[in-house]
Amino acid sequence: MTGPARRRLAAPSVVMLPRVADSLSFLYLDLVRIVQDETGVHARIDTPRGVDRIALPVAALSCILLGPGTSITQPALATIARHGATVVCTGAGGVRSYAGILPDSLTTRWLEHQARAWADEQVRLRVAVAMYEKRFGTGLPPGTTVAQLRGLEGQRVKALYQQLAQQHRIPRFRRNYDPARWEEQDPVNLALSAANTCLYGIVHAAVLALGCSPALGFVHSGKQHAFVYDIADLYKARTTIPLAFALHAASNPEQQARRRFRDELRLIKLLPRIVTDIQQLLAPEEADPVPDHEAVELVSLWDPELGVLPAGVNYAEHSIG
Amino acid sequence: MPSMVVLATTAVPDHVHGALSRWMLETMPGMFVGSVSARVRDLVWDTVSAVIGDGAAVLVYPADTEQGFAIRTAGERRRRPYEVDGLTLIRWTAQDGEAEEHEVPW
Repeated sequence: MTGPARRRLAAPSVVMLPRVADSLSFLYLDLVRIVQDETGVHARIDTPRGVDRIALPVAALSCILLGPGTSITQPALATIARHGATVVCTGAGGVRSYAGILPDSLTTRWLEHQARAWADEQVRLRVAVAMYEKRFGTGLPPGTTVAQLRGLEGQRVKALYQQLAQQHRIPRFRRNYDPARWEEQDPVNLALSAANTCLYGIVHAAVLALGCSPALGFVHSGKQHAFVYDIADLYKARTTIPLAFALHAASNPEQQARRRFRDELRLIKLLPRIVTDIQQLLAPEEADPVPDHEAVELVSLWDPELGVLPAGVNYAEHSIG
Repeated sequence: MPSMVVLATTAVPDHVHGALSRWMLETMPGMFVGSVSARVRDLVWDTVSAVIGDGAAVLVYPADTEQGFAIRTAGERRRRPYEVDGLTLIRWTAQDGEAEEHEVPW
């Protein structure tokens, strides 16, 4: 039983995810060394026979996730950045997100949508409502306030906890994530906290890949990861919560929760979905991919009256007076 | 409906070249390009892979995948398609007891 599992742990993984809107494509690597040779970027895998190489199509990628056991050289990193791909250092299977390197050529399109929507109270509420609707798959009556939203959300989550507790024959469940009383918590709470941390990691990676700010949240606020918490909440009811309840009798619920997420790369498979959801929330009208030939990367100048103007033009003669 | 097919062969028996040239153009030694129906493509491929001997062949044709194409290989070579979640990369496999041909400069 441990044989295949151990081999799986020791085997390097290269997982590439399909392209989603805006030609985002993620590649997750672990236990490989990434180098730039004269002509390209390669992942090098040590095998008993010698070193295997896999050429990485870095120009066709938007984000590379480096899992444990990877090392990367500066020239490789520079080549990746030159092609506009984001690099994120993650835990095994994307369960944590430690740091992200954003190339300067990354588009600010989604960051601008986020900042605009966040700064306008009306739009912010609209996004918050859309988040709720996405989360529970139901519409809300127009004119719903944020307070009502929070109440509805609380009820929904409580009902879900109750339903799952019944299903697993757990007499009484109360969500508790008080770090000061960590040791006293039941397995479900421990598993849920651990699983949620994993989910935050992958959502953080997706937010960085888009060039959005993890800090500008719509429902949450005041934390560097407010937006990450917002987006992660969309998936808890379908991912982390059922998983945590399934681990109610586990001896080491935290570790098992992380492992279950990691082993099947469930989190990484969520990535394209997270990206599309963020895009749809921030700018529903723009979430469809721009056809390749139209997606010209240009620096633009902003004008409050005229909108976006081409940069690289001397506007001295255009100004009045 | 016919679609474009690229078939590259190395060290295949001579008669294979002749047979392939009936459907496709040999644009470079061993490299055939043509526009054939899926049926003809499969027929040609089955025939080629059956007589491959110590040679090798790779077939690339349009497919409804993320990458827009699919790859088939016959014969053992050091470059092997490496399938990852529906996408295909190429893995250059090391050979037993062989020192690396050149150190990576970086």
